[in-house]
Amino acid sequence: MTMEFSPENKKKLAEILSRYPTKQAALLPTLWLAQGEFGFISQETMEYVAGLLDISPAHVYGVVTFYTMFHRKPPGKYNLQVCRTLSCALRGSESLLDHLKKKLGIGENETTPDGKFSLCTVECLASCGTAPAMMVNQKYFENLDASKVDEILNGLK
Amino acid sequence: MIMTDITLTIDGKQVAVPKGTSILQAAITAGITIPHYCWHPGLKAVGNCRMCLVQVEKWPKPVASCVQPVSEGMVVKTSTDEITKIRKSVMEFLLINHPLDCPTCDQAGECRLQDYYMNYDEVPSRFAEEKVSKNKMIDLGANVMLDQERCIACTRCIRVCQEVAGVDELTLANRGDHTMITTFPGKKLSNPYAGNTIDVCPVGALTNKDFRFKKRVWFLERTPSVCPGCSRGCNIEIHHEELKVYRLLPRYNPEVNNYWICDEGRYGYKFINEDRILRPRILEKNISHLVSSDEAVDRLAGLMKGGALDEIGVVANAQETNETLQALADFAKTVLKTRHLYFSRREVENPVSDNFLMTADKNPNQAFVDKLGFRPLSTLKEVRGLLVLNSLSPADMKKVIEKKVPILGIWASNENPAAHSSAVVFPIPTYAEQEGHFTNVRGLTQKITAAYPPRGEARLVSETLEELTERLQTNARSYTQNSYPLSPHL
Ligand code: SF4
Ligand code: SF4
Ligand code: FES
Repeated sequence: MTMEFSPENKKKLAEILSRYPTKQAALLPTLWLAQGEFGFISQETMEYVAGLLDISPAHVYGVVTFYTMFHRKPPGKYNLQVCRTLSCALRGSESLLDHLKKKLGIGENETTPDGKFSLCTVECLASCGTAPAMMVNQKYFENLDASKVDEILNGLK
Repeated sequence: MIMTDITLTIDGKQVAVPKGTSILQAAITAGITIPHYCWHPGLKAVGNCRMCLVQVEKWPKPVASCVQPVSEGMVVKTSTDEITKIRKSVMEFLLINHPLDCPTCDQAGECRLQDYYMNYDEVPSRFAEEKVSKNKMIDLGANVMLDQERCIACTRCIRVCQEVAGVDELTLANRGDHTMITTFPGKKLSNPYAGNTIDVCPVGALTNKDFRFKKRVWFLERTPSVCPGCSRGCNIEIHHEELKVYRLLPRYNPEVNNYWICDEGRYGYKFINEDRILRPRILEKNISHLVSSDEAVDRLAGLMKGGALDEIGVVANAQETNETLQALADFAKTVLKTRHLYFSRREVENPVSDNFLMTADKNPNQAFVDKLGFRPLSTLKEVRGLLVLNSLSPADMKKVIEKKVPILGIWASNENPAAHSSAVVFPIPTYAEQEGHFTNVRGLTQKITAAYPPRGEARLVSETLEELTERLQTNARSYTQNSYPLSPHL
């Protein structure tokens, strides 16, 4: 199977490209588009994107691995992304992460066997004022503690 | 474009440099070296290592001198107490996760971390945590070995691939202290200039598979020379100890190769160490006998006197120096008075060439061969015998066999089929063991120097030719030999 954007995303890509002076500059939004359509960024996706933007797969790989919000494995239905940067760490994100690991029985970058939850840490979510914070898929949850996290998990069906 | 000069002061010295020059380069012009890791004179400046910070009077903060262009009247200080403190801190950061590998690291002795540690750090580590561990032995491809723990993420290797080789094969993956150099997963480094990544790596992260663990670098002597790998004539340094060559490195020459060489040239040194002809010998009844140089000259003179000298052909070789080629041409024209001036040369199958350094002619001196009027051996006419320099290409060898022309004498540094079938063999030095010149594809004549004296009983071609001339002009006895066996398998 060769990888290709849907016609709709191809149109979006053209629009994205029109906003930047060089194709390379459009790498982040293009990867975001790809993650949206394919669910995660596989090596094949990186090569596809590299081809679209006339850059090397090595460069794309460097960018994808730099940004924690790009996933290189298919995440579960709910992707729990716990902030690991300073403000959240000072406000207890580490014990929050431990709590999640115990509760879900999985480690970082793992998915529960039923495919429902996956867990990872990410760089600063720009939510320092309401630390500790995490994102579940695209949604923010702030001022967390263990009981709040339990509540959130219970609410995810 | 007219370059307006900018005048500035660096550590009290006035310098005038063209507009757009960085402070770091201006300092070099003034004879002041600012410590640096990521900046390399042959690559674009990126300013990521922060080792080159300097102070500019009236500026609020120190600036990275490698990326900061000079401005008129600027007053730069490169070694204030504050700057020294900053360098100490940069060093401390770089060494936090650096493994203590120096005793087994090939880079030791030519490592920027070691050098700058002695200059600026020299304090015990305050880092009590466990160091991040990474992969220490990755075969990146193309003879390049990567130790990710030793990398300081300066990106010089990435830029060499991008800017010199023109292929973007390396990248920094991940972030923070987990940053590491890598190729795209599953891919190998494969560009023909990959060896330059090893040279530019300021630390021991990239090492050469070919050189690894063979020699501590401080034992190596360096001799300036010119690569004989193709007609470009890249400037090189021969690194050797005693009578052995360990590696070749590029030598800066803006007119030819800048700071670079190709991998073909870099690894093309093996023949200097291996398969050498070290003593004169003669073939008698198909059996080879080692003889003294005198005997060899006698024997060849005798063979040549078995008939008219002008019926003997000479075969020059595009691997040899101007001096050697000239000596042979003079000998042919004035002593033999022969019109049979030919040449052979190194031929490879599918020679690689590009529009950067590599040329398809894998010889350093075709230009001078042509200048002296030697013709291709494929045009060989009737001759009584041949005197050969160096070797014959397979096609030329075939031609000689077909025409049943005996090889009377050969001057060769390495074993080769033509030497096996020659009646007399004189050992000669390789390019690494002699002085002389090569004329490159653009007509530029460049000097090579001897790393060490000729090995064994090897002597310059010109010396034996002089002796031969003497012998030919006296009434020494002449030999005849009925058959000159040619080596059966070529
Ligand atoms: S491998 Fe060497 S050249 Fe490449 S980034 Fe690391 S330290 Fe720099
Ligand atoms: S381009 Fe030619 S001269 Fe230069 S290093 Fe390669 S083989 Fe040697
Ligand atoms: S040399 Fe200037 S920042 Fe690295």
